[in-house]
Amino acid sequence: MMNDNENMVSDAVAQDMELTDPQGSEPQSADAKNAQEASSNDDFHRTGRMQLYVRRFMRRPSAVVGLVVLILLILLAIFGSKFSQWSYDEPDFAALASPPSAQHWLGTTVGGSDMYAMIIRGLGRSLTIGIFSSFGTTIIAALVGTAVAFFEGWFEKVGMWLLDMLLVVPSFLLIALIVGMAAGGSDWLWLAIGLTAFGWVGYARTLRTLTLSLRDREYIRAAKFMGVPSFTIIVRHLVPNLGSVLVINTVLGVIGAVNSETSLSFLGLGIKAPDTSLGTLLNAGQSVVQTSPWVLVFPSVVLIVLTFSVQLIGDGLRDAIDPYSRSGGKAE
Amino acid sequence: MFKYIIKRIVNYVIMLFVAVSMTYFLASAFMDPRSNYMSRNPHPPIESINRSLDLANINDQTPVVIRYFRWLKGILTQWNWGLSPDQSPVAPAIASRISASLQLVTLATVLSILFGVSIGVYTAIRQYKWQDRVLNTTATFFLVVPAAVMGLMVVLLAINFNNIVGSRAFYVTGLHSYQGSNPVLWVFDYLQHLILPTIVMTIPGMVGYHLTQRTYLLDTMNADYVRTARAKGLTLNAAIRRHALRTSLIPTAVDVAFSIAGVFTGAVITENVFAINGLGMYFTQTIANNDINGAVAVAAFGGVCTLTGALLADIFSAWLDPRIRLS
Repeated sequence: MMNDNENMVSDAVAQDMELTDPQGSEPQSADAKNAQEASSNDDFHRTGRMQLYVRRFMRRPSAVVGLVVLILLILLAIFGSKFSQWSYDEPDFAALASPPSAQHWLGTTVGGSDMYAMIIRGLGRSLTIGIFSSFGTTIIAALVGTAVAFFEGWFEKVGMWLLDMLLVVPSFLLIALIVGMAAGGSDWLWLAIGLTAFGWVGYARTLRTLTLSLRDREYIRAAKFMGVPSFTIIVRHLVPNLGSVLVINTVLGVIGAVNSETSLSFLGLGIKAPDTSLGTLLNAGQSVVQTSPWVLVFPSVVLIVLTFSVQLIGDGLRDAIDPYSRSGGKAE
Repeated sequence: MFKYIIKRIVNYVIMLFVAVSMTYFLASAFMDPRSNYMSRNPHPPIESINRSLDLANINDQTPVVIRYFRWLKGILTQWNWGLSPDQSPVAPAIASRISASLQLVTLATVLSILFGVSIGVYTAIRQYKWQDRVLNTTATFFLVVPAAVMGLMVVLLAINFNNIVGSRAFYVTGLHSYQGSNPVLWVFDYLQHLILPTIVMTIPGMVGYHLTQRTYLLDTMNADYVRTARAKGLTLNAAIRRHALRTSLIPTAVDVAFSIAGVFTGAVITENVFAINGLGMYFTQTIANNDINGAVAVAAFGGVCTLTGALLADIFSAWLDPRIRLS
């Protein structure tokens, strides 16, 4: 039952994509693939779909560049500290606010901390927070958004009212409150939790709108009449059918989370010393913009490269897997 | 229509009340104004700490429900939003800062709508030509740059520019520094201060409007009624201007209405980068100083802005879009 459904839907999705995307892709090869799919067994269906996605993704040079850059950044965040003799929490008092040199590749801060080590550490923090809270946000938003649409009636009315109400309170304040009470050292975790706990609301509203068109489909109704429990329908049928939207938004959500983390830490409401993040470094760089600009420039460059590479990946994914996307192009 | 608006307003007022009350309880639970005093060394006598906290109605030894009703009574009967931990009233502090934020945000909002929508239309008409690709890539780039990075980079460039020119062409802190009485010089000085924060706030708004307006116009450009207009003999430009563009401006108008919420939240980073004493800066100060009443009051103001925007969006869409039913 479950498998049949999925395959049916995935075929429909694949066909939709061909329809909305007649020029950007290769119709002949896709047709050949459909024919091949029809004659082969279930395993082939799946690999075929993934291959289609991969091929579409790889067709965009910008997406591939974004992916390579992001992988390099992740490797740098994990292994980068091995190359430097300095640690982020080990200031060199012989070189305070020194410009980039052979000793300190990216210079030092006013306190003598090595900028390279600080940036590696901060990059790791920003990436962890971004990925963690983007996944968390997507999971909560997907469950709440689909549930609100699925149960209809008064549940939907009350749910939407509550979501709107949560949007009225500035989430910035609530996150700052949660991080503020974190004990030293664990504030990155609390920041990730705060970004997750208050970041999903607007997203859940969007997903609810998308679910509205799904909830009246035959397979949902069939499942309902067969007596499948509501939660099972939501998790097995509704959420997977929003899959492409969820994947894209999880990737793009990393940008939003990194930006929020940067803003909060920059304002001094996020990660605080002795730990560090890219936003904290910007905060430190702000006061020495004239005397030691390298404290400001290098974290900024890393942040821009990070967010832009994720954006490129997200755009590539949207073209590759979103059946609703118009960016694939239209004839004429 | 009138009944519809009244219904929306009542709904929004209730929503605002619940949201602000929730914020009050959360802020009371997480903020610890007592620590402001206890962290001094040696800390003042406990009785005097309690007296100061009681005066501001933020003593954590009083049950939070009692504090809440006292606070609510003050607002409803005297429009008194309470005191900061340092005993200064909150409401006048906010009122005096609204003007700075408003000056900053108004110009930036108007400019970002003007430029953003124009560029959006320009690129939609030239879809997939090189102008479209270049402008789109640039817009995507600026869309993802964190606000703090953007602000600080502009500051860095301006300082370098000042150094190269050898005089202060741009100011990077505050909104005024001219002390004399010559109005021409005053305006000139004001603009020198205003231009950089305006750039920093215009760019993200502008690229947002550009990308959404492009999508909206592309959606309508291929609609049947535009083809009909072309078939009647209208030129492509006339068909787009009179038929496609008008429809595509409806969702943009709704977006503009919602951007009112940004009047206050959008400026937090910019105000901190450029040391402008507006609401955003006050907000960060209240959080850093455990100022429960101040933070809740700013949040309430932000909520009013958001809901005013939502109400305007409701009215705009009901007025502009005949497909929306009011029942």
